Parts: sequence; C-alpha cells; structure tokens
Amino acid sequence: MKQENFESAHQLEWQAFEHWLTVRKETHRKKKIASSGFADHEVPQRYRQLCQHLSLARDRDYGLALVEHLHRLVQEGHDALYGPQSGFGMRVLRYATGGFAADVRANARWVLASALLLFGPMLAVMAVVRARPDFAYFIVSPEQVASFEAMYSFDAHVLGRVARDASTDVSMFGFYINNNIGIAFRCFAGGMTAGLLTALALIYNGLMMGVVEARLVNAGLGENFYSFVVGHSTFELGAIMLAGAAGLRLGAAIVAPGRLTRGAALRRTARSLVGIVCGLAVMLLAAALVEAFWSPLRLALPLKLSVGGALCVLTFAYFIFAGRADEH
Amino acid sequence: MLDTLRLVTTPELIELQLHPAGVLPRTLAYIVDMTLKIAIVIAAGKMLSALGGAGNGMWLLLFFALEWFYPVLFEVLRRGATPGKRALGLVVLHEDGTPVGWGPSMTRNLLRAADFLPVGYVFGIVSMLLHPEFRRLGDIVAGTLVVYRDVAVELPDIASADPIAPAMPLNRATQRALLSFAERARGLTPARQEELAEWVPHLAHGERGPQGAARLIGLANFLIGRKS
Repeated sequence: MKQENFESAHQLEWQAFEHWLTVRKETHRKKKIASSGFADHEVPQRYRQLCQHLSLARDRDYGLALVEHLHRLVQEGHDALYGPQSGFGMRVLRYATGGFAADVRANARWVLASALLLFGPMLAVMAVVRARPDFAYFIVSPEQVASFEAMYSFDAHVLGRVARDASTDVSMFGFYINNNIGIAFRCFAGGMTAGLLTALALIYNGLMMGVVEARLVNAGLGENFYSFVVGHSTFELGAIMLAGAAGLRLGAAIVAPGRLTRGAALRRTARSLVGIVCGLAVMLLAAALVEAFWSPLRLALPLKLSVGGALCVLTFAYFIFAGRADEH
Repeated sequence: MLDTLRLVTTPELIELQLHPAGVLPRTLAYIVDMTLKIAIVIAAGKMLSALGGAGNGMWLLLFFALEWFYPVLFEVLRRGATPGKRALGLVVLHEDGTPVGWGPSMTRNLLRAADFLPVGYVFGIVSMLLHPEFRRLGDIVAGTLVVYRDVAVELPDIASADPIAPAMPLNRATQRALLSFAERARGLTPARQEELAEWVPHLAHGERGPQGAARLIGLANFLIGRKS
C-alpha cells in the first residue's frame, strides 16, 4: 500500500487517538469533563492498532514526518497505558502496617553494623569522659560545653533550648524536621562514597551524643538531660541507625556487587531500600513532634521515663512482630 | 546515524526511540527550578515573618519540603517534569521508557545529596559527562533517564504535482531521501531546492534549475502513490 492510501485509510483513527490523549491531559489539569470520542476500555486495542501502523510505516519506508508523527502518538499512548500504578495510598498503608518492619528485619545485619558504628563510639566516649572530663575538648569546644550545659540547667525555662533564642515549639519543630531528616537523607546518599561518608556521619554523631551525655551527667544535670531525651530518643536514634544501615548497604553494592554489574547491583539495592528511607523519615517526623512539643515540658521524671519506655517498647514490638504474616 | 538514542522495545514489540538529554539542558532546567524555589522561599519568608517564631518553624518546614520533595511531586504527578524540565522540554522516564513512579523518583532525588558532593554537583556532572546516556548518580541508582519530549508537529503536506515514475528501481535510502526532500521543500527557498536537486543528476534526469527540483517532487508524488 502506498503512503497516500495508508494515510487516508487511517487518518481518522489517528486523529481520534490524538483527541483522546488531549482530553485526558486536560481532564488531568482542569478536571473538565469533555467527550473523549471513545470509551477508555477501547484504548489498549486502539493503541495496539497504532503500534502496528507505526511498524508498517517504518517497514515500508513511508516519509520520515509520518513515521515521527506515529512514533509520538505511540509514545504518548505508551505513557498513558504504562503510567505509575494506581492505589498509591493502599500501598503506603500496607507498607506502614508491616512491610517496613519486614524490610528492616531483612536488613538486620546492616542495622547491627550501623548500630555498632553509632553506639560503639558513644559508649566509649561516655565512659572516658566520665573518668577524664577534659577528654571532651578533643571533640567539642569549651563554648559548646557551656552552651549545652545552659540548655539543660535547672533554671532553664524549658529543656533542651537556649533561653535567649526565645524559640517556640513550632519553630523548633521546623528546625528538627529540616535538620534531622536532612541529615538522615544525606547519611543514606553518602553511601555512594562506598559507605565512607555514612560511616563517618554515624561515628561523629555517636561521639557528639556521648560527650553531651557524659558532660551533663558530670555536671549533675543528668536528670534534666534524660527527662528531655527519653521521649524521642527511640524514634530518633532508631531512624539514624536505619539511615546508616541503608547507606552502608548502598556502599556495599559499590564495593562488592557480586555477580551483577555495579549499576545493576546499585539499582537492585536501592529499590529494596527506598521504602526503609521513607519509613525512617516518618519516624523522624514523629520524633520531631515529640521533641518539639512533649520533651521540653518540665514534668516529673517518672512520668517522662514511663512515656519514653512505652514508646520504646511499642517501637521494638512493631519491628519484631509487624508484617510476619506476609513474609514467605 | 550518530544520534544519541536509547531504543526500548515495548510489550507491543514496537521500538520506542528515546533521546537522552545532556548536561547543558539539564543544568538550565535546574537553574529555572532553583530560581522558582528561591522565589517561593523569599516570598514565604516575607509573609511568615509576621507570625514570629511559629512562622519561622513553618518556613523551615517549607524549605525542607521544597528541598527534598519538590522534584518528586512534580515528576510523579505532573507527567515526569518539574517546571524547569517542562520549560526545557525534558521529561524523566524509567529506563524502559515508562513514566517514572514514586520509588525511583524518590531514589533519584534523595541521591541528589550524593550528586552534589563534594561541592556544586561535581559528582553529578562528572557522572553525566562520562555516561553514554548522560545519567547522574541518582539516575544510575534509580534506573531513570532524562529525555527530550517529542513535540507535536503538523504533518507536512507534500506539494502535489504530476507523479513521475522513476526510470530505474530506487533503493530504500534513495526513496527515503526523496520523501524527506519533498516534505521539507515548503521550508526551502527555490534556489536551495535547485541546488539540492543538482546533487542528484541521475534522479533529476539531467534537468537543471527549477525543472530539476520539480522533477524530484514529481518522483516523491509517485512514491507516496498519488494519481495524476
């Protein structure tokens, strides 16, 4: 068949398909209901028809412009048919109620490695600074020590903040979100340096926490410190640990890709990690809520400890038991 | 052809041709997005500063959302393009040519932090320059691709003329060249048409000048099957 006949035989079908594509885009944009010409369930068949026309046009060496025109229609039809899966909300719900915990359990070795890098230095520094307080100055400056001692002093109006900043709960919430989740995301992305940046971030955060804890306990402010941190520490430390685990695993995919190419190993690893990273962002969101609105309150220590303990138990219970039914 | 193409075979056994976009258009798109984000941040800062400490907190939340989720939301909900990419005619796809989904979009934008290292997207730019399909680290890890979006063009109308049957069988490349010439003839000056026709004396049948060009159009009319 010559091009002219081919065009006149199928012109109407192409125009109908193009019209359907335009209407689909417009309803997307303006929620305007326009007649799209044919029912949606006819699309796959019409799309396959179009694909056949394109392959015929290519095979018979019809004009370049016609081939490109059909190619564009096929491509847009392909986009419409193979778009992102629907049911996003349902998938999020399923992930939150079990998939997340199952993913974390599947990466238990990496979580353990990350925990060692975070808590190892922390415990070591806590022990050393308790015995020799001056060791703290290897890690932080005397001004910093003075500043965090002021934050937890008995005459501080609220805990964990520098009084002269006059910062409100909401402003601290914004700060915690921006700061903590940003750090966690960078900790994960840092895995692309073969895990080095991730490991450094974990060790550095461990050292800092150790110094702060030990100096405050030395100064007799331990009660205030624990009253502040006990509420949100499970979520926050857990999330940092998970970010570290994800970053380390990403780094391992570069160092030891196994039987895959590095690119394929990275793709496969990242696909199984992106859920964990989103999950830990939600954990940090919860941590920021607690840290901004609950932790600064001056309440009796036993109350604070029991709330913190309950959150800790719930978190562990979630990661140990949730999602078992869907496994295997 | 020397085009940078990625050929993807769809389940319908049709080959889609994707044109990966290089460093320059992507940088320009990034600058457009950056300008937009800075404008939003400044405008919001002006408005929220009236609210004092709470406004400051909300501003930080906005800043955080823009930094990490602006590209993801646009890429997934607005058919693969942030406003900057849209302005430059670019779109993000999976490497199999399908529109980008939540997971890969999230991955490629989280890894911006790695592409940014050590300063100013150096890793990302080096990765794009070295990769045959111009992917930055985030694209490699997420399995995504930034390509040019095909723009809709009117089908060219080949000027009708009396069809002329060629004196000898024409091979495929020649047929294709003739059709391309006829499709573009409307946009060429007569002088250029004649000049091009002189390059193929065997097709122009020895005719020169306007007759040579007209003869090529006649041949094209025959090829697409017009009747006199």
